[in-house]
Amino acid sequence: MNLRTLIVLRRLSQTAFVLLFLVLFVQARLSSDTMVDYSLTLENAQPFTIRSPVDFFFRIDPLLRLTTLLAGKLWLAGIGWAIGLMAMTAILGRVFCGFICPFGTIHHAASLGIRSNCDAAIPPRSRLIKYAFLAAILVSGILGLELAGILDPLCLLFRSLALSIFPGIGLMLKSAFDAMAASDIKWINLASYAAEMIISPIFGYGYPAYQTGGLIGLLFLALVWLNRFSPRFWCRVLCPLGALLGLIGRYTRLVLLTDEARCNACGLCQSRCPSAARSGKTPASWNPSECLYCLTCMNVCPQEAISLRVAQAGAPPKFAPTRRAMLSGMVAGLFLPAVGRVDGRLFAASDPALIRPPGSLDEIDFLAVCARCGLCMKVCPTNAINPAWGEAGLAGFWTPVIIPKQGYCELSCTLCSQLCPTGAIRPITPEEKKTKPIRIGSASIDRGRCLPWSGNGPCIVCEEVCPTSPKAIVFDTVDTTGADGEPLKLKLPKIRLQHCVGCGICENKCPISGSAAVHVIAAGETRNPRHGLLL
Amino acid sequence: MPLNEPISRRQMLFRLGGLAAASPLSALLQTAWAGSPNMLVDASGPETNCDIGRLTEKLIAAAGGMGRYVAKGDVVVIKPNVSWARAPQYGATTHPEVVRAVVRMCFDAGAKTVRIADHTIHDARQCFIVTGIGQIARETGAELVFPASSLMREMNLHGHRLDMWPVFTPIVEADKRINIPVAKVHSISRLTLGMKNWIGGVGGRRNALHQDIHQSITDLAHFFKPDLTIIDATRIMIENGPSGGNLSDVLIKNRLILSDDPVAADAYAASQLFQIVPQEIGYIRLAEKWGMGTTDLTRLTLQKVTL
Repeated sequence: MNLRTLIVLRRLSQTAFVLLFLVLFVQARLSSDTMVDYSLTLENAQPFTIRSPVDFFFRIDPLLRLTTLLAGKLWLAGIGWAIGLMAMTAILGRVFCGFICPFGTIHHAASLGIRSNCDAAIPPRSRLIKYAFLAAILVSGILGLELAGILDPLCLLFRSLALSIFPGIGLMLKSAFDAMAASDIKWINLASYAAEMIISPIFGYGYPAYQTGGLIGLLFLALVWLNRFSPRFWCRVLCPLGALLGLIGRYTRLVLLTDEARCNACGLCQSRCPSAARSGKTPASWNPSECLYCLTCMNVCPQEAISLRVAQAGAPPKFAPTRRAMLSGMVAGLFLPAVGRVDGRLFAASDPALIRPPGSLDEIDFLAVCARCGLCMKVCPTNAINPAWGEAGLAGFWTPVIIPKQGYCELSCTLCSQLCPTGAIRPITPEEKKTKPIRIGSASIDRGRCLPWSGNGPCIVCEEVCPTSPKAIVFDTVDTTGADGEPLKLKLPKIRLQHCVGCGICENKCPISGSAAVHVIAAGETRNPRHGLLL
Repeated sequence: MPLNEPISRRQMLFRLGGLAAASPLSALLQTAWAGSPNMLVDASGPETNCDIGRLTEKLIAAAGGMGRYVAKGDVVVIKPNVSWARAPQYGATTHPEVVRAVVRMCFDAGAKTVRIADHTIHDARQCFIVTGIGQIARETGAELVFPASSLMREMNLHGHRLDMWPVFTPIVEADKRINIPVAKVHSISRLTLGMKNWIGGVGGRRNALHQDIHQSITDLAHFFKPDLTIIDATRIMIENGPSGGNLSDVLIKNRLILSDDPVAADAYAASQLFQIVPQEIGYIRLAEKWGMGTTDLTRLTLQKVTL
């Protein structure tokens, strides 16, 4: 195949996979045109499902697969894809990076037009950092802390788009819609609704917002910006998945062969190679573990000396990462789970705000497998699930927590548990959630702020919205005096803890804005018997 | 004829005679204009295997057919109660078959567009999926309107308690409004029937309305003024209202109550379904006081039909 065909092929493949990623990304939502035959709900059939394989890119991810396996959890769904990808890499090298990876494609696109001398911009040795990251991730995975998702390119991309970039764009569009909706011209009002209905399936219904979303977005933009400094900086220096694939692809049969007769050792291939796959000007300096198959060297070679060939590799290449890089990574991998847990209060009282989605494993098992990919947060129809800030300690940074003030957990919904790619949230049924029940926390009333308790008038919204039957919030009707001393007949709410599941709708709908008068905390959650409240 | 000229006695008598002859005619015209007195229809079906769609047809037929309320080319908005993401059998939401029959009859009567709109309490997508209302909208060709923020608009409700408030515009911007609530118990307003259903017609700080629930309901009902109220009592919630969630909270009644007087519909439903004296319920008492209808059922023509 000649160079032009190869480049066309690469571009087609990159475009196709970016589009696939985006399509599946957008599909990861409860669509407003989801319909179920209501007569089926009479038989308690699963009401909410997403039929597209929205977790496809997580399933094919060998790094996520490997770390989950190291944590002792065999995750079989779609394992064929991951094995296939590894087999492909063993034969063809890191073509995933050059042809498939959507994050790689974004970096590729962001690098366009940059003609820097890559080796001068960053020292070639910096490529070892990614092996150190890989070593750290694998060791910490064995020790029970899943860190892969923080730097795994597929998780990172999904999280950044889902929790920051897309919702951010959505918020900007909202201001335009609001302006249109406020117009006195009828067709502009209608256009505003139409636009909102078209846009919200993509950018999120009800304009979701996510804790630390700004940080996630800034990190993403910074990583993309680094390409202007050195093309495909992420792929060359940081990507742990690339490191893993590089190790698997050491003995690739897809070789970039240099015709020694034609090569005049101008050194262009070396200085332009974004991944430092060429350590010298000579033809023999090609390193298969580093090569992204981006075809830049073929493209820039003035002698047209480089070609892609299926060939028997020569002498086995030198093991890519140095011992020092691997060791420093492994030491980090030993320490991170330890220091990460210190502030997580794993064995002392749990953080009151650490409300995990229903079906979450016990905290220790949860941290061992949760990839922080953000899929549960994106699919949550009420925007209840958010990336953790400090609730779960350093080790649990960006893991999912429910913020009731922002969204409540719908009793009949199990989307997060159905879609969690690594099983950190185990699959549960709405029936189980309702009848067993699965508790995620418990409510308590702040009598100082509560309108009836503080003598400021009737309310009892919390009791109205409480979804359990019998209700977990009940009231006493009492004759009392109000805050101004006037006689009042008020309904004072009480929590029946044995019925409370911690769904948080009481806190969510409480009219006391700011800090609600009914507050849900993680205590009472069923995933850890030690957090129970009642005997 | 110049007005400042004196008129003769003959002319005077002639004119008075004409006036006298015209007055009964005008009274007659007025009666025809205002239609018959408000009507109340109570339809009930068999205890088991009740075809709710046919029961609804029978109810509307007894009320004179949908053609009496919906004209050709009308935009009709139907306001069911789909506040909760609960399957129909739990009685927390309007039965989808009632809505299906009403939509179909509206189209048969020549309606140009039929919209189903509700500002739900639970997430609207989940509500429309689970309650079956989304399915009905798709199957009948009615438009399902989501409570999008671009459809909320500040309007003056001119109420005693509520003035400027964000209103869910599709409910106002229609030629005809059909209110199809479900009959349930409610902790603070005692019962949720027709008038209370209008809380789903506004946005904003709805959770503050409980602080003066009866006046708020009355203000909203006064603002929205349905052309027809059909109270779905195919099953009623008698416990754990208004969200329910357990079949033991629900009684099967297979009954539907229709009226063009929103106060009478609520009053009749309160007394017939829940054995509560209507005047004991704050918003019914207030609504009658503000002249929005009557609780005196003798002033309506009551028809009872059975399937």
